[in-house]
Amino acid sequence: MSKQYLTLHTLDGAHPSDIFALAPTKTQILSASGSSSIRIHDTTQTDFPLVQTLEGAHKLGIHHLATSKEGKTAASAGFEGVVKIWTLGEDALWSGKGDIVDQHNPGDIWAIAVSADGNYLASSSINGKVNVWSLAEKDTMPKIREYETKGSFGLCVDLSADGKFTASGHENGSVYIFNNDTGRLSHSLPGLVHPIRAVAFSPASKLLAAAGDSRIIALYDVTSGEQVANLTGHGGWVLSLDWSDTGEYLLSSSHDSKAKIWRIETKQCVATHSQGDRPLWAARWLPRATRSEMFALAGGNQAISFYREAAG
Amino acid sequence: MNSDAFEEMLFGFPSSQDSVDDAWEDASEEDMLEATFASEPPPWILRSSPDQLPALLDDDPDAMILEDFGESALDESLLENHPIEGPPIRKDRNWVLARIEGMLEEIVDGLLENRGQLAITLKSRSATAGQVMDSSGGRRPASTLKNKEVNFPGRTAQEAWRFTVLLRIIELVHGALANDVVLSKRDIYYRHPDLFVKQSVVDRYVDDLACTFGVTRSLLNVTAAAKSLVAGNFTIRGADGTSVHGINSKEGILLPSLLDSDVVDLSAIYWILIIEKEASFRSIVGSPEWSSLGSRCLVLTAKGYPDLSARQFLRQLTDQYPSLPMSVLVDFDPDGLAIMSTYKYGSIRLAHENVTSNDTPTLSLPLPRLSWLGVRSHQVGRTPATESGTKGGAISDAQGLMRLTLRDRKKACRMLEWDTCQEGGPEPVWRRELQTMLMLNLKAEMQILEEQPGGLASWVNDELRATQGQEGCTNGPVPQAGSAG
Repeated sequence: MSKQYLTLHTLDGAHPSDIFALAPTKTQILSASGSSSIRIHDTTQTDFPLVQTLEGAHKLGIHHLATSKEGKTAASAGFEGVVKIWTLGEDALWSGKGDIVDQHNPGDIWAIAVSADGNYLASSSINGKVNVWSLAEKDTMPKIREYETKGSFGLCVDLSADGKFTASGHENGSVYIFNNDTGRLSHSLPGLVHPIRAVAFSPASKLLAAAGDSRIIALYDVTSGEQVANLTGHGGWVLSLDWSDTGEYLLSSSHDSKAKIWRIETKQCVATHSQGDRPLWAARWLPRATRSEMFALAGGNQAISFYREAAG
Repeated sequence: MNSDAFEEMLFGFPSSQDSVDDAWEDASEEDMLEATFASEPPPWILRSSPDQLPALLDDDPDAMILEDFGESALDESLLENHPIEGPPIRKDRNWVLARIEGMLEEIVDGLLENRGQLAITLKSRSATAGQVMDSSGGRRPASTLKNKEVNFPGRTAQEAWRFTVLLRIIELVHGALANDVVLSKRDIYYRHPDLFVKQSVVDRYVDDLACTFGVTRSLLNVTAAAKSLVAGNFTIRGADGTSVHGINSKEGILLPSLLDSDVVDLSAIYWILIIEKEASFRSIVGSPEWSSLGSRCLVLTAKGYPDLSARQFLRQLTDQYPSLPMSVLVDFDPDGLAIMSTYKYGSIRLAHENVTSNDTPTLSLPLPRLSWLGVRSHQVGRTPATESGTKGGAISDAQGLMRLTLRDRKKACRMLEWDTCQEGGPEPVWRRELQTMLMLNLKAEMQILEEQPGGLASWVNDELRATQGQEGCTNGPVPQAGSAG
């Protein structure tokens, strides 16, 4: 059974460069690209106006951007190797809180994820290490967990909503789940052989989705580590994954400009959208407000497109 | 000893200049160097203690020539090492000759006066940070060049050796200028391979010397050894009536050095294609398509980073045929982009060649209209995969794709800071493609295009048609055969 999603609005030229990351809050969407600035658009108004630009955040461009679920903390990672932490002020404007630079190997941090409460940041790295940093203190942002893997480039990372788990996906196809309470590896998941470019915990932290160059989206049970499903249908490398608030649907986007929506219950693809002819680097649901379910897509065409579920 | 340490020792300043240079220190030279150096220092280092100094120079018959230089030809001002400052001087062969003789004479004076130290002052070029883009789009050195002094006997055996190397090169250049013969850098090296140890030593000092005088290397009568190959339907006519036809050769011809009086006839050519690698060049020239492609196309490879002679040749073609489309085919990796950058904007290391373009307009070398044919990210990641055969697709497009090495990633990040690739710079597409490489952590060699139906030549042929379609027939000749009259 398929579902209908309609194009709601497109922000053409949202960035002067390829958009690599989207990070929504309840009222805004933050976006980052190969240019140096982070742009913030208001998602509560019908024309999605630009409300703030964080100029010159990362001179060489920004490859990852993440926000906390509570919407007051954001983190950005630039090609120069620095991670910047941003906080939302009383005036509803974002400002810089500080930088995380890996003391040992500056520039090695790659993907990032921020915990739901904004107190932790997980990072993957080129040398395969997965780290967790505390953002809670006022002045320092210490590294509190350091997970060793077999050294394959960690292309993606996620933190579970309950803060208990960190997951990482690696270039050699490995997927790991770490237990943040014990600081140990929980599961080394049966891999997909090809590079893993996206991992995402379901909202209830029960399932982990992982995908990449094998074009298959694998679903794993977080507790047992068992692979419970394969979602097949993408024709290009899968670059981005995101669960809807309820965990009913999974959104994926790929290098061949396609986005797909999967119903988890039936493991079926219920909608496919094609956008332009450039890689779709980022696909994100907007946190559910009063309106129907909405998602945003962005990538090499430098635009952000918003879709909403068709009524009825 | 690793090669960096060796470079450091040779040149007394870090060799971590951005790696347009990498290609110069190529593997074979490195090997040679290890072989010579790993065991024990060569004999010339052992004999360079101060009391043996006169003996060293006396041993060398050419050194005696120094005595013959008279005072007459020398102007005091020429002894200063600031050729760029002061009133404009016409820098021609005689001027360079006089400067070199000035240098040599000072050394002779030093010997006659029994000075403890002999010195040659060189201007050395700085790394990327010291470069600025000029308005015409070429690189030029920032206004301050670093002076460095090479002393004899110096503090170390290495310094004494450096002085000896430099003096020998100066002498050879002087001889070439005095007799009006052109030497290649390779020629110089082979005069004293045991002294110079490796080719890049010669390359570096010849370029330093040109930089010190603020002239192009060709004004020193030194050329790079010909390494570029060209093929296609072109003709080079010399003033003496000789001519070279590109179409006659089945495998391409070694790029001849052009004289100012030579005329290159490209009237049958619609497109100039530059190819990074010799293997791909040969694949195209050896293909069945070449008979038709070659009649409309000039193909050149400089086998990696282009040397000066290749860039001069291409620049001469653009000056003669400014509207002729010119494209470059390089690997999809940071080095490929750096090679393209060297074709388009010139070499970081040889920025002084561009700066002198004010004096000699024909040597302004950037190729601002050079377009990037491939390999581009959209040509590698999107090999068609059917929805049904997803697994097969994954395997087929995994061929020819490789992961970036740590060095590739570092280089790509450094290149994002280049004035050409920075935000708001003239090459936003280069920036995008470098970032895409980093995001995907993938690179691809141009051999990946061989897997296209019909191979590389067929792909190039299609691209040529597309180019002709886009640009129209902007070149001189009449598009349709038969309408020429």
